[in-house]
Amino acid sequence: MTTTTPIERLRGLRAVGELAAAHHRIPALLAELLDEAEPADRDALLSRAGRLLAGLDPDEVLHHHPATQVVTVAITGQSTVAGLVDPLTAELARHGLLLRPLIGDHGGWLRDLTDPGGQLLLERPDLSLCLLDAETVFAEVPSPWRVEELAEAADRVLERITWLAAEHERIAPGLLVLNTLPLLRRHTGQLVDHASRARLGAVWREFNARLLRLTERHRSLVVLDLDPLTAATGPVEDARLACYAQVRFTAPVLAGYAREVGHLTRSLTGLTRKCLVLDLDNTLWDGVLGEDGPDGISAADTLRGEAFGTFQRTVRQLAAQGVLLAVSSKNDLEPVLETLHSHPDLVLREPDFARVHADWLPKDGHLAAIAQELGIGADSLVFADDSPGERAQVRFGLPEVAVLPLDGEPALHVERLLADGWFDVLRLTDEDRARPEQYRLEGERHRLREHSGSHADFLHQLGVSVRLGPPEPHEYPRLVQLTQRTNQFNLTGLRLQPGDPAAAAEDPGRLLLAIRAADRFGSNGLVGALLGRHTPDGLLLENVWLSCRVLTRGIEQAALAALLTESRAAGLPAVHARFTPTAKNHRAELFYPELGFTETARTEDGVLFRHGLEFTPEPPLHVHVTLDLGWPTDAWAR
Amino acid sequence: MPGLDSLDGFLRLVRTELDLELTDQDAETELAALPGWDSMNLLRLVTLLESGSGRRLPVPTVLAARNLREIYAVLEEAA
Repeated sequence: MTTTTPIERLRGLRAVGELAAAHHRIPALLAELLDEAEPADRDALLSRAGRLLAGLDPDEVLHHHPATQVVTVAITGQSTVAGLVDPLTAELARHGLLLRPLIGDHGGWLRDLTDPGGQLLLERPDLSLCLLDAETVFAEVPSPWRVEELAEAADRVLERITWLAAEHERIAPGLLVLNTLPLLRRHTGQLVDHASRARLGAVWREFNARLLRLTERHRSLVVLDLDPLTAATGPVEDARLACYAQVRFTAPVLAGYAREVGHLTRSLTGLTRKCLVLDLDNTLWDGVLGEDGPDGISAADTLRGEAFGTFQRTVRQLAAQGVLLAVSSKNDLEPVLETLHSHPDLVLREPDFARVHADWLPKDGHLAAIAQELGIGADSLVFADDSPGERAQVRFGLPEVAVLPLDGEPALHVERLLADGWFDVLRLTDEDRARPEQYRLEGERHRLREHSGSHADFLHQLGVSVRLGPPEPHEYPRLVQLTQRTNQFNLTGLRLQPGDPAAAAEDPGRLLLAIRAADRFGSNGLVGALLGRHTPDGLLLENVWLSCRVLTRGIEQAALAALLTESRAAGLPAVHARFTPTAKNHRAELFYPELGFTETARTEDGVLFRHGLEFTPEPPLHVHVTLDLGWPTDAWAR
Repeated sequence: MPGLDSLDGFLRLVRTELDLELTDQDAETELAALPGWDSMNLLRLVTLLESGSGRRLPVPTVLAARNLREIYAVLEEAA
């Protein structure tokens, strides 16, 4: 057990010049810092850690850890914004990301973010943060002012911001982050009559509402709502620092803002967390099942019980938006399942959990198993437990897991759960919403597999059907997401960008097919895709993707067999394909040869294959395939 | 806040809280010439000293200070 605090260890590393070399350990150090600090001290401590880390030379970190993701962030606004650098450095470091900040001039936000030759945009920031405050509007009203004049000023400012959003989208590659403007007592109090104050309040909120609505039109715009944030942090500004130093946000507000931006950045870099793993005793219900028995625990009807019920409803709210749930509990499995099944107080039931691990083994093992069984990384898990010992064990044993510090006060569980936006995404897709159901079905398939003799028996009982056809336009976002998330069965490493599916669908020389699968348990949805191009010597398969969720069921073989058969029927001379090895797709190396393709060349880009279509492979017996090319077959046999 | 009753204690606090590497002679050094100094440090010091001492400091005087000794003098005066 170490006796030094994480801050002291960071300082020690810096003193001996090893901070850059130890960069991979920083997320774990910061997690420890946050878990062990008093809640009231967390932000200040994190900001101090950020100051230490902000002194690091990004190039030196990259020298030691070349794979580190560097995030270039333009920071500008109405006021002095340099105070954001420390907390933002720390928040990004929590996610293993390295901040390269570009600081604009205070008051110069409009120029900073719309001048393509300016200092900020020239660096092509991944993210542009524009911190606005009430001064953005009040700087435009005369002295003395009336509400009507303020309303006109608000209109002008909104017009400018609308133009900024469009212009930034046009010339800058990154995301623009704006915020609602907090209205302060020192503004409302300037009006002595309540009628005018009410009008001011309405005008102000209409302004903020229109600002928030800009995100409906601009996909690369995010507007952070500061109201809920400042309601939790306390004062928005220190009047003296605002007056003398143009600092118009206090450190706690900047800390909260930085936290939200940190999670936003994490989701942009593909690091979104997917599964919430929950302890049971004193986390999901009041009491200890093994000691108090099922009658001694509660999640309703008592003062403390109600608090746990509220927590469970919040967890269910997250699950409804695609967050997977799992249980990790030190208990015997039997009573846990019985309680989840029949205890009258519970909001969450066994089917709500993709996995339930209840035994007496260390919890890092539970979490590793949950990740493995769900086919996701440990870095996709968030673990909530009221016991500091269990949390430390997981932090130490499986440092990729994000750990939520709950404690003995259940009324604070919801706040702790939501303090970090671990599951934040830019936009939710239908597939996200359906994910928990998909994984629950996966659990049923898993049980069928366990009770089937051979794998062939299992597949036979599973009754897989595959439908191959052109994607519908509403499926394009899901298709893009699939190609970006699929690593194991991605035969060339290619990933589609948002405009690609529409472009491929419109091009008569190209073939884009979605692979949809279902079985006796229900639909798997869109699980794969196939991209091809017509050439004089037949069809060239540019890539095939299949979600790892449905691998080893014969789906990919069935899809290809059908396509080859159809190509032969259409009189094509051949089908060509390419396999490019990546860090994760070695399992798919033999995919083409096993379907009768022969190797024709090896290049830097990988292995080229050709199938002469003299005879085509039979699809696996247990799979029923339907193929709709959406394209008259004689069109390709030119 | 313990240690704020002497200049040495104050310098120790600045060293650890602002992560600056200071020698004992640096009380007299022009702030901008301190290694690692940036203008945000004055604002950090105001917040830190006020929450640590429970006293309200005259912010313009702190912002106008040329070196750490002058900031310490402001703190003493506010006692």
